Amino acid sequence: MKKKLMSMVLCVLLIAAMTVGCGGQETPASTGTTSETESTDTADGGESYTIATVVKDMSDPWCLRHQEGVEAYAEETGYNCYVKGPSKTDSAEQIQVLENLIEQDIDALCVVPIDPEACKPVLAKAREKGIVVITHEAEGFEECDYDLEAFNNQEYGEAMMDELAEAMGEEGKYVTMVAFLSSTSHNQWMDAAVAHQKEAYPNMELIPEERIECEDNMDMAYNKAKEIIKKYPDIKGFLGASSYDPPGAAKAIDELGMTGQIHAVGTGVPSVSQPYLESGSNPCVLCWDPALSGKAMCQLAVMILEGNEDQIQTGLDLGIEGYNSVTVDGTNISGNAILVIDKENMADYAF
Amino acid sequence: MKVKRLLKRNEFYVALIIVVLSLLIHAKSGQFFTANNLVDLARSLIVPGMMASGLFMVIASGNIDVSFPYTAMLCMFSITKLFQIMDYQGPVILGFILAAVIGALLGAVNGVLAAWLKLPTLIITLGTCTIYLGFTQGVLKSSVISVLPAPLADMANTNLFSVRSAATNLGSSMHISIFLLIATLLIVGFIMRYTMLGRGIYAVGGDPVAAERVGFNVKAITVFVFAFCGLVGGVTGLTQVTLSGMCQINFFDGYEMTIIAAVVLGGANIAGGSGSVFGTFLGVLLMKLISNNLILLGIPTEWSKLMTGVLIILGVCVSAYKMVSAERKVTSNILKAADGEEAAHE
Amino acid sequence: MSDILLEIKEVSKHFGGVTALDKVGLTIRKGEIHCLVGENGCGKSTLIKIISGFYKPDGGTICFDGQEYSSLDIKQSIQLGIQVIYQDMSIFPNLTVAENIAMNYELYNRRKLVNWKNVETIAKQALAHIGIDIPLHESVGSLSIADKQLIAIARSILYNSRLIIMDEPTSALTRREVDKLFKVIRQLQKEGISILFVSHKLDEVFEIADQFTVFRNGRLIVSKEAKNITNEQFVFYMTGRNIEEEYFTADHADVSSSLFRVENLCLKNGFENISFEIHPGEILGITGLLGSGRTELAKTLFGMYTADSGRIFIEEKEVKIKSPMDALKLKVAYVPEDRLTEGLFLTQSIENNMIISNIDRLRKKKGTVDFQRGNEDSKYWVKSLGIKLHELKDGIQTLSGGNQQKVVLGKWLETSPKVLILNGPTVGVDIGAKYDIHNYLRKLAEEKTMAILLISDDINEILMNCNRILIIKSGRITGEYKNTDLDSSRLQVLITEGEGAEAV
Repeated sequence: MKKKLMSMVLCVLLIAAMTVGCGGQETPASTGTTSETESTDTADGGESYTIATVVKDMSDPWCLRHQEGVEAYAEETGYNCYVKGPSKTDSAEQIQVLENLIEQDIDALCVVPIDPEACKPVLAKAREKGIVVITHEAEGFEECDYDLEAFNNQEYGEAMMDELAEAMGEEGKYVTMVAFLSSTSHNQWMDAAVAHQKEAYPNMELIPEERIECEDNMDMAYNKAKEIIKKYPDIKGFLGASSYDPPGAAKAIDELGMTGQIHAVGTGVPSVSQPYLESGSNPCVLCWDPALSGKAMCQLAVMILEGNEDQIQTGLDLGIEGYNSVTVDGTNISGNAILVIDKENMADYAF
Repeated sequence: MKVKRLLKRNEFYVALIIVVLSLLIHAKSGQFFTANNLVDLARSLIVPGMMASGLFMVIASGNIDVSFPYTAMLCMFSITKLFQIMDYQGPVILGFILAAVIGALLGAVNGVLAAWLKLPTLIITLGTCTIYLGFTQGVLKSSVISVLPAPLADMANTNLFSVRSAATNLGSSMHISIFLLIATLLIVGFIMRYTMLGRGIYAVGGDPVAAERVGFNVKAITVFVFAFCGLVGGVTGLTQVTLSGMCQINFFDGYEMTIIAAVVLGGANIAGGSGSVFGTFLGVLLMKLISNNLILLGIPTEWSKLMTGVLIILGVCVSAYKMVSAERKVTSNILKAADGEEAAHE
Repeated sequence: MSDILLEIKEVSKHFGGVTALDKVGLTIRKGEIHCLVGENGCGKSTLIKIISGFYKPDGGTICFDGQEYSSLDIKQSIQLGIQVIYQDMSIFPNLTVAENIAMNYELYNRRKLVNWKNVETIAKQALAHIGIDIPLHESVGSLSIADKQLIAIARSILYNSRLIIMDEPTSALTRREVDKLFKVIRQLQKEGISILFVSHKLDEVFEIADQFTVFRNGRLIVSKEAKNITNEQFVFYMTGRNIEEEYFTADHADVSSSLFRVENLCLKNGFENISFEIHPGEILGITGLLGSGRTELAKTLFGMYTADSGRIFIEEKEVKIKSPMDALKLKVAYVPEDRLTEGLFLTQSIENNMIISNIDRLRKKKGTVDFQRGNEDSKYWVKSLGIKLHELKDGIQTLSGGNQQKVVLGKWLETSPKVLILNGPTVGVDIGAKYDIHNYLRKLAEEKTMAILLISDDINEILMNCNRILIIKSGRITGEYKNTDLDSSRLQVLITEGEGAEAV
């Protein structure tokens, strides 16, 4: 009896594991075949490179936008560039995708790691095989040739604060929101933003709650924002690091009938924030265009492959908007590609 | 006698804690007993309240289901996607019917596996929930849908009434889907209290072998409770869409645990056979009071998870303590019972 | 019109290769009290399950009220008016008295909705019908076994019951409760309801039955009137062998030394000022009614309850027993009243059940378990206790009640205890195994190394096997007697009436 039970339990677990596993491996393979066919020929008689890009989540519009950029780059240059990634934001699955890729004949690997630490071993293996590794959204990461950021984290935080201050009229109470109190970049942005406020906008005041955790969940951001507004009816601003924070807070503002009196600013994508950009509760959202950073990563990889690594110095022009004069600090490269999206220009960015 | 019976009921204590906690929140923030806060509170009960009443049936039957949040998620995405692809413009009720049907089917899968394989339902539903999650990600390829199809968007903007608090000038609107919560509570309450099916659920939860012997169809009851829980899950998924105005894959993250905790807080024995839908509702209310008012109570963000956990454990401990201490003590007084017994026999 | 209600003809049932019933027959007349007896595993329960529709027979026919069936299903059987009260009573501990009683009725009438007023009236009527009074809104889990039994009966008479089958209804009842039950049964008989009464206890068969049937090893042995039968004949029918028991007298007891002594032990709500002593070579018996505090005393001695005051000595050394772990360390062994929930791991093998209490001693140097030695030990006990089994690796549930109980006893003896407490050791155990256990206890007593305390409400068991008997009533010891000074009726009176009766 006990044995039978045990074996059945194992079967169920196995099936469950297989369904998850299959989902993971199938998707990158299928996306691979669709984009691989696009460019196979050598560009302009020069040497052709195969550059693989791995994103965080193939079902996310943000990553699809990244793919658009990479495919555009492939078309412009004729290099074989394609995008793969896990079917959901799952680090283990992403590493599996990376493992599969480095077994293939590729020259460069552009990665947006979900969990940089966990990716270290597989990326080290890639570099041993002579593959050029470029990372993104992983500032300070070491197991790569270069890490390219759309902007400097501090500048981004300051830029967010500038936008919030403008919306609030440079005075009043505000609070910051992050996905998790443990997310590195979110907290770096918010630290920079708060420091900037203390310096530049003395009439603004951070409430004692300081930083709210919303788990990348719009429903939670909405509930927490409601609660904050009840406790501080005179609050005037929300500054959100996750792209679900500003719309969540904006929904709470609209529902409580405080539109125009309270503003939510921060990271955001047009597809989610659109209704609140229209209502005005999100005066603007900030982000960077993943299509451009996708292009920039490939361009950087090509420069290294072509042996032009000595040119990579502060002030370098990658020929891509926002990356016309990058800052180089060791292996860390940052552009100035902060994108401010408001009611007027949101139609231009379909992600 | 009446008072004594009241004092024995778990619901009484949960209600007492709720009253105390409400007064505490009001005293700390002056914000609790305001019209808009009460409307907000009611609104925040809709989704967890519906899910908990569905799950309560499963727990009362002596089973457990952790897959309902994933059923909700799957229905949420599949109906919204379907409407998007079809460019559907008709009445939104069709969506709810479809969600109910899909949810009931998914739930019935759990029920059939539980009734015939006789495996622990925790394992079964852990398995199926992973399948449902994988389906949503793999087949529907979804993590976010931010622009809703017209019928859902319209419902998202339909409110019954709006209130505004004079003191803070904050306004809140009661969403139409509160009716879904009320209907679910009434239906579950009616089934559990006034139908043989409901009494059968309690009977199966109390002793499945005995239930079969007195003539209940235990398998049918098992399938029913899971199917019903799935049905409620499906409807709840779509309700969440109309409340949030969007779909996001992590809306129901962690719901299985908080909802189970709420049902148990409301007085249902996790081993089955006891509890009431009213108690369950109180349990949800208490959970929401805790999780939605930590900021108002002035608990720092870093400590909020700790507090929620501690409160759940405390709540469950109260009922568990009663059981454990009863086991370790001789409850009826043997030394005195003798005289009474003697009298009864003569 | 024939006066035969149920006639079973040539019914057989096989489970895999095992024949549970081999062409048995059974005839029950209208308004008859029929006793079905036999040792465990003789096919009684299989037959009951066939009548109630739980199993389908492999051959033969069931004839009910003139109508012939090859098999019945559960609902059909209920519709015909057949009611079974199982040993576990199949009641719902989580529901109220009223609902437990009325539930079957509502189901029988195929109701879809519950009318709570109706439920209450039905329950009230049913309880009034059998002349008992239990609060309707009490949850059944908190009631005594006797009350549960009566509720099960009240529930079963609500249909147009024609035949009520009671599976060992008296095994957990005290004499007084049994009397009450018999009164109810006779009343049902007057109303024309037939009763099939399954029992182990011979005196009950003589007392209540019109007719009796004996099964052995799946075969019908005899079926005849209960009037003209002697005890010896009866035992022979059941076991196929002649068994006689003699009074146990501890002639060689060493009264000067003490193995186990209890002084003024008190437990709140349980018992007070309990004092006794066990000398080498003795078996001390404690008996009393259900709810007299005997079980509480046993559990306290094993540390399941913590005594509020009093002292306990093992071999003249004072000890504190605050938990079963303490008791184990002090080498106190406890064979519980309910072996299924307290004594055995039902999903485990016979062997694992045997070695579990002794697992510490089987520990090898590296901390692993010496299964080899465990196996040898188990084999030893199987042999010396005469446990009938197929293989040690089989599940414990494959054994009959008697053999299961021997396993419980064996596993405790393996720990070589200094104090052996047995609480109702032969409840639900067939006669053969019962005598085996008694004989073994007597042998143990003669070794004079172990204090043996036998707690039971089986009067004969106590009388035959304990040289001294303490009677507990309302948590107090009301008298101490030598077994040779008593007979069963005298002991019966002492238990129910207490010391006061002695003066009369």
